[in-house]
Amino acid sequence: MYYQEKKTIALLFSGTLVCAAYCIYAYQQLQTGAPNLGNDLRFWASAMLICIGAGIVTTIIIQILFHIINAMMNHVTACEEEDPTIEDERDKLINLKSMRNSYVVVGVGFVIALITLVMQLPPAVMLNIAFLSFMTGSLFEGISQLYFYRRGV
Amino acid sequence: MPAIVITNTIRRLRFDNGEITQQDLAKKTDVTRQTIVAIENGKYSPSLELAFRIAHAFGKPLEEVFKYEMTEENSDSARKT
Repeated sequence: MYYQEKKTIALLFSGTLVCAAYCIYAYQQLQTGAPNLGNDLRFWASAMLICIGAGIVTTIIIQILFHIINAMMNHVTACEEEDPTIEDERDKLINLKSMRNSYVVVGVGFVIALITLVMQLPPAVMLNIAFLSFMTGSLFEGISQLYFYRRGV
Repeated sequence: MPAIVITNTIRRLRFDNGEITQQDLAKKTDVTRQTIVAIENGKYSPSLELAFRIAHAFGKPLEEVFKYEMTEENSDSARKT
C-alpha cells in the first residue's frame, strides 16, 4: 500500500470517528426527550461547532500519529521513496475527481434537507441532515480517493 | 464510441537504459514513483507534458515510448470512410 493510500485511510478513520461521535451524541440528546429539541437551533448549532473543532483537533492528532507510525514501520533511509513530498498531476487529478464526487453527495444531502422543510419537519432535522451530508461528503471524498489510487484514474 | 488503447514501453526502456529504477525515472520527470508505476501498469494516462518528459528522459521520440492502438471496431469504421 502506498503512502497516499495510507494517509487517506488515516483521514477516513478520523472522519469516521468524528461523525460517529456526533451521531452518538445527537442520539443521546434525542433519548433524553428534552422538550422543544426540534426547534432549539442554538443547541444544535453549538453542538455542530464543537464537533467541527473536535474534528480538527482529532484529525491533527491522528495525522501526527500516522506520520510517527509510518516512519517507524518503514525504516526506509531514502524517505522520499515512501513519503512523497510533491503532489504531481495524478495526485491533483485524483483530488479533483474525489472532490467532485463529494460535492454530489453534499448536494443530494442538501436537497434532502430542503425536502424535510417542505414536509414541515422540525428545522433541527434540516440542520442535522445538512451537517451530516457535509460529513458524509467528506468521507465519500476519501473513499473516492482510495478507489482512484487503487483502480487507476 | 471506438475504444482507444494507449500502451507504453517504459518498463523495457528502463531496463535497456542501465536498469534505472522507477524512483530514478520519477525524479527525472518530477513525479512520484507511484505515478510511474501507474503509467507502466496502464492505470494512468499521463498528460502530454509528462509523456514528453518521460520520452526525453530516455532520449527517445514520443512514438517509441507511447503507442496508440485502435480497436478493430475503430479500424473497421476507418476503412469504410
